[in-house]
Amino acid sequence: MIEINNLVKRYGDKTAVNDISFTVNDDEILGFLGPNGAGKSTTMNIITGYLSSTSGTVKVNGHDILEEPELAKKEIGYLPENPPLYNDMTVSEYLNFIFDLKCVPKERRKNQFDRIVSMVKITDVTGRLVGNLSKGYKQRVGIAQALVGDPSILILDEPTVGLDPNQIIEIRKLIKSLAKTHSIIISSHILPEIQEIADRVVIINKGKIAAIDTLNDLSRRLSGQSKLLMTFRGPVKECSAKVRAIQGVASSVPRITDSKINQLEIGIASDNTNEVRASIFFMMAKEGWPILEFRSLDPTLEEIFLNITSGKRRS
Amino acid sequence: MYAIFKREFLSYFRSPVGYVAIAIFSFLSGFIFYTQFSEGLVNIGNEVITLRSFFVVIVPIITMGLLAEDKKRGTDILYYTTPVSLFSVVTGKVLAAFALFAIMFINVIIHIIVTICCGGMVGVGAIGTIIVFFFMALTFISIGLFASAITDNQIVSAIVSFIFILIFQILTVIAGYVATAVDSLLTTIGFSTESASAAGSAVKNAISWFDPFAKTQDFRLGVFSVSSLVYLVSLFVLFLYLTYRVLDKKRWSQA
Repeated sequence: MIEINNLVKRYGDKTAVNDISFTVNDDEILGFLGPNGAGKSTTMNIITGYLSSTSGTVKVNGHDILEEPELAKKEIGYLPENPPLYNDMTVSEYLNFIFDLKCVPKERRKNQFDRIVSMVKITDVTGRLVGNLSKGYKQRVGIAQALVGDPSILILDEPTVGLDPNQIIEIRKLIKSLAKTHSIIISSHILPEIQEIADRVVIINKGKIAAIDTLNDLSRRLSGQSKLLMTFRGPVKECSAKVRAIQGVASSVPRITDSKINQLEIGIASDNTNEVRASIFFMMAKEGWPILEFRSLDPTLEEIFLNITSGKRRS
Repeated sequence: MYAIFKREFLSYFRSPVGYVAIAIFSFLSGFIFYTQFSEGLVNIGNEVITLRSFFVVIVPIITMGLLAEDKKRGTDILYYTTPVSLFSVVTGKVLAAFALFAIMFINVIIHIIVTICCGGMVGVGAIGTIIVFFFMALTFISIGLFASAITDNQIVSAIVSFIFILIFQILTVIAGYVATAVDSLLTTIGFSTESASAAGSAVKNAISWFDPFAKTQDFRLGVFSVSSLVYLVSLFVLFLYLTYRVLDKKRWSQA
């Protein structure tokens, strides 16, 4: 568990991180989002002890990062934006060096080494020089490095950057499986990725927290209600009126498209969207207007993100 | 500390650096010993003293990458985010460079063995110079490490440590020039000749007091002066501490 209280970091008269507070619970994946220069990496660097804060505290499993740095750092595995790799070492030499740095007792090493190496799937390259590995493998070695010493907290700064789609899916799976036993903070520019794996999201903008919530709550808070998009064949005006008459529908607005498809954007006020959808279906069937497509218009993280960060900018 | 030491020491042999340093040292020591041997006048003390004057080249080669390379690769983040302390990082690196010196010194040990086998003498003066050799190596390594800490460019680091060591090497010469300058300056602005030259020699003595080579020259005669070793050790500690501060400062940087 990480508790961050009133964290401030100033560089001269520029405030990189301005009064940030949040908590990461045990066995939770926290997505960390923000535009470039928002203070994501600075915050992560402070949590891991690479930088010191101007004021505010960071507690890692109860240990203050400044007062008990060695105890706190033992709990953290950190994968920085650029994995700290030595190109002149083989993978196993490198991991053994990290074992040394993290003071892992000799008798626990063999076991842990085998487990980590098979978990991140680098078993077949342990004898190769890190410098000769592909970007994807290097990233995995970086993750392996963070896992050394069985830390209870993982901090991953853009772990999937530069990987191909297959590798991204694998790394995501790996991170998800790690979440069962670790608290994870993950920052990423790839919003669907956060959407897919994070339990909660912290959005920071200009050094301040713009939003902190679960994804569902975030989207509900922003849209206020669920939305559906229906594509159908039939008269638009008539259909719109009939849909509006259905109980639980708040609005029904025809969407103007350049092609000849008819689309309705339907706002639903009630919590029970399934019931409303069923009613719409039966109504359309009765009228003989075939439904071609039905999909929910929940805002994606991308939209939430843009909404929050640009909204703040305006105010 | 052992982890850092092991990595740095082995990394000398993963790149050409270690081999180049050893090759230069072996060539120089071998050449000096050969000249002495062919003349039938072997003096290990002289050999070690001559080798000492090549510190200015060898030390920058050995120390230039110690911290600069870490910063460039981004691996220095490991020193801050793992439980290892910065103090052990600094000492581990110094010891790795020092160990390389010890390896290079095997050359001289072979020469000593050859000398003794051929019925030559290795006097107490030679032992004195060897002691000074190691103390001085340690001091200059800490200077090189400091130069490596202040930049992320190996070349800059090598040049800075080269200049530092060169200044120490020619400190007495520099002192002479400064003394002459002070002398003539005082005479021009109207001081009497005696007081001007007195001031000049005072300045000369003050500056050359810091010359580690002049300070330790009596070791070759078998005169072991603890105070000059203390001087070398204090320089070593000073630069080690400065290096530590430079690394620590990065964390607290406000700019």
